[in-house]
Amino acid sequence: MDAADAATSTETEASIDLLVVVLDTNPSQHVVRQNPQNLTQILEAVIAFGNAHLMQKAQNKLAVLSCSHHATDFLYPLPGRQVELRQVDGQYEVFSLVEKTVKQQLGSILMNAPRLSSPCESLLAGSMSMALCYISRLQRNIGAGVKMHSRILVITGSNECASQYMTYMNVFFTAQKLNIVIDTCALDKTLSLLQQGCDITNGQFLKVTQLDGLLQYLLWVFLPSPQMRHKMVLPPPPKVDYRASCFCHRELIDIGYVCSVCLSVFCKYSPICTTCHTIFKMPGPLPIRPKKKKKPEKM
Amino acid sequence: MVNVMKGVLVECDPAMKQFLLHLDEKLALGRKFIIQDLDENHLFISTDIVEVLQARVDDLMDRISFPLHEKDA
Amino acid sequence: MADTKSGRYASSSAAISPLVQGPENLECKNFQEYLRTRQTPETLEKFYHYPPICLAVFRELPEIARQFVIRILFIDQPVPQAVVSSWGAQKFAKEQAEATSCLSALNVWRVTAIPGGLAAWELSPTFKKSVRQALMGGGKPWPMTNTLDKDSKPRDIPFLDSYAMSRWRCVLHYMVGTGGRNGGSDAEAISPDAVRILLHANLMKRDERGGISITRQGFQFLLLDTRAQVWHFMLQYLETCEERGISLPECLSMLFQLSFATLGRDYSSEGMSNQMLTFLQHLREFGLVYQRKRKECRFYPTRLALNVTNKDAATATTAADEERMQERGYIVVETNYRVYAYTDSQLQVAVLGLFTELLYRFPNLVVGVLTRDAVRQALRGGITAEQIVSYLEQYAHPNMKLVESAIQSKSCLPPTVVDQIKLWEMERNRFTYTEGVVYNQFLSQNDFVTLRDYAQSINMLVWQNERTRTMVVQKNGHDDVKRYWKKYSK
Repeated sequence: MDAADAATSTETEASIDLLVVVLDTNPSQHVVRQNPQNLTQILEAVIAFGNAHLMQKAQNKLAVLSCSHHATDFLYPLPGRQVELRQVDGQYEVFSLVEKTVKQQLGSILMNAPRLSSPCESLLAGSMSMALCYISRLQRNIGAGVKMHSRILVITGSNECASQYMTYMNVFFTAQKLNIVIDTCALDKTLSLLQQGCDITNGQFLKVTQLDGLLQYLLWVFLPSPQMRHKMVLPPPPKVDYRASCFCHRELIDIGYVCSVCLSVFCKYSPICTTCHTIFKMPGPLPIRPKKKKKPEKM
Repeated sequence: MVNVMKGVLVECDPAMKQFLLHLDEKLALGRKFIIQDLDENHLFISTDIVEVLQARVDDLMDRISFPLHEKDA
Repeated sequence: MADTKSGRYASSSAAISPLVQGPENLECKNFQEYLRTRQTPETLEKFYHYPPICLAVFRELPEIARQFVIRILFIDQPVPQAVVSSWGAQKFAKEQAEATSCLSALNVWRVTAIPGGLAAWELSPTFKKSVRQALMGGGKPWPMTNTLDKDSKPRDIPFLDSYAMSRWRCVLHYMVGTGGRNGGSDAEAISPDAVRILLHANLMKRDERGGISITRQGFQFLLLDTRAQVWHFMLQYLETCEERGISLPECLSMLFQLSFATLGRDYSSEGMSNQMLTFLQHLREFGLVYQRKRKECRFYPTRLALNVTNKDAATATTAADEERMQERGYIVVETNYRVYAYTDSQLQVAVLGLFTELLYRFPNLVVGVLTRDAVRQALRGGITAEQIVSYLEQYAHPNMKLVESAIQSKSCLPPTVVDQIKLWEMERNRFTYTEGVVYNQFLSQNDFVTLRDYAQSINMLVWQNERTRTMVVQKNGHDDVKRYWKKYSK
């Protein structure tokens, strides 16, 4: 091992690792509708995973957010003084605190959630922005000379919806700028937008097909901190679908029209850009060639 | 056949090695102490001389160092 | 061997003999070294019955080793070695090998055979059980977690910090012998047990007149930062545990439980054995826990006890609070090597006097100068340049730190001074000495190569030159090599 490598490894040992888990708790997720027990199973795995992260180093930090169809809430930590708690079994008190707080909070959130008449999409992008805000607040508060590495892990069984496209992209590029890694664990379908996010921020994307081994998957792929991932063998990055969604119908498109002023993407030609209200010249006698925005499936 | 000798291997920069050779040649420590000159950075010397040698080198360093500050400014 | 000219083989740190170092230096072990050097596999196994110890051991492991342990923690069969080694990237095979050997040395896992004749790794069942328990729950609650009524007058963190520091400073003051002189009130005295530990640790020694005085190691100890001091002191305490009839695993477990506790919370000593209560009283004396009265069941761990093994964790989590707890910086170092110390404490003056030439003394100010002689004196005493610099940094006056942020340098001390101190140290180390035996006048190249390769294979070769057929072997490897030569030449 080189001196440089050794230096970085002591540096990582000394820094704070912050893990923010964004957990999709939307009851209309496919996995939850299939069997409501699944949510409990996912929750147990997430708690164990969070605690395993805290166990790595004394200075590691954890936050858990729940994301639903109507709101995002903190499950851990809670603002203000923590729940008064004494050990009931051999579990380390910090870990029991995580477990108790997360379960209690989630319980009360689910009880108070408005009833759904029809399945609704989860506000994942919003929750991720909240996670970013939380990270940047902690970042501001740490002492001088202390390094903090942050990452966000999204665990979801929802379908993604292109309607949040803009928010997603804003989140991804902000995260990239702040050096925050976004990891995604998809429980149901492959999510092309989040896949892009992982790719942009150098995170890991993993689709888990069986819930039974969820914890083991989480521990394998997501527990190593991004700084040490190159030392471990992890699943190779999948091919990322880099299609953009159009602003008019929120659908992913291969080829579309791009406003020359604000770069908004449209699937159909319109004479006025709906975003920046630029008026385009009417097409002349020559047919306008549609511009390609980006090659699909570019790596 | 093989010849075997006990002693101490000294590793140093070439300049310091020359100084040791000089001490050895001039019998400055009272006697010869270098058992074998190995290469430009290594010498093999007798064990009992090490402490005297270290003191001598400290002396040298004292003589070639220059006070960096004035005590009573 | 491509490099036929010359080369050093043995790792230099191991090979440098204490030929010219004189009396022994302070040796600070971290937790992992302590476990590796001091404990047998049987004691380790005993330790692993205690979840707090397992948690501490786990956090001490190298990064890769931690990942390995986590990944096999929930697997009930042994895992083939080939599988485990496929988890790490090829490029880091060396680091991985270190992690693997560390896990074996600490007895965290061991080799077993699985059907099919493959070698496999299996976590020590005790360790596995304890870690799982700490992580997932189950089993008995840890001691000292009994429920307590709400404390009517709960102690807040600043109070605990100042209490802890004042207790700890008592020990330090005692060491430099200022405890008695400054009025000798009760708060300044330390118990015979504490004195025994200081003596055991060689930090102090009995002198001819029957009194007790500080040793070289003691002065080196004073230069460490508070956390390192506490850890070193506790290690020494643990060594004397058995003689007092206190069980070592229990003590260690309690120490770590405290180190994992939450600052500002109260814990209960109910149900503790008498031995553990004695231990608690000792911890109270050193300021690791706060207890209002000896008989009271309620106690608060202080910052001294938290994260006792891990310096990084402490600086990272409490960087801001640490400032509050440490004595405020009082040292100003100027580029002309002058040192101004705003202090009236004997302890601080004594420590400063170790490596500066003191010029003037005022009621609240001491002026000294870092001279080559003074620093060399300190170096000769076994203090390292690193220690001097870190001491000056640790207690740098707040105004020095303002300058630091202005010039964006890593250290708040003038770079010239830091460099010079390091240069003074380096000029002492222009030689490295290795005690050994030289072999020369080989009759044939073959003889030479055979013997050299043998010496190298047992890691005893220090230097060799194929052209002159000369090689140097470490002193303690000589017998071995000689025996081999006799056998070979027959």
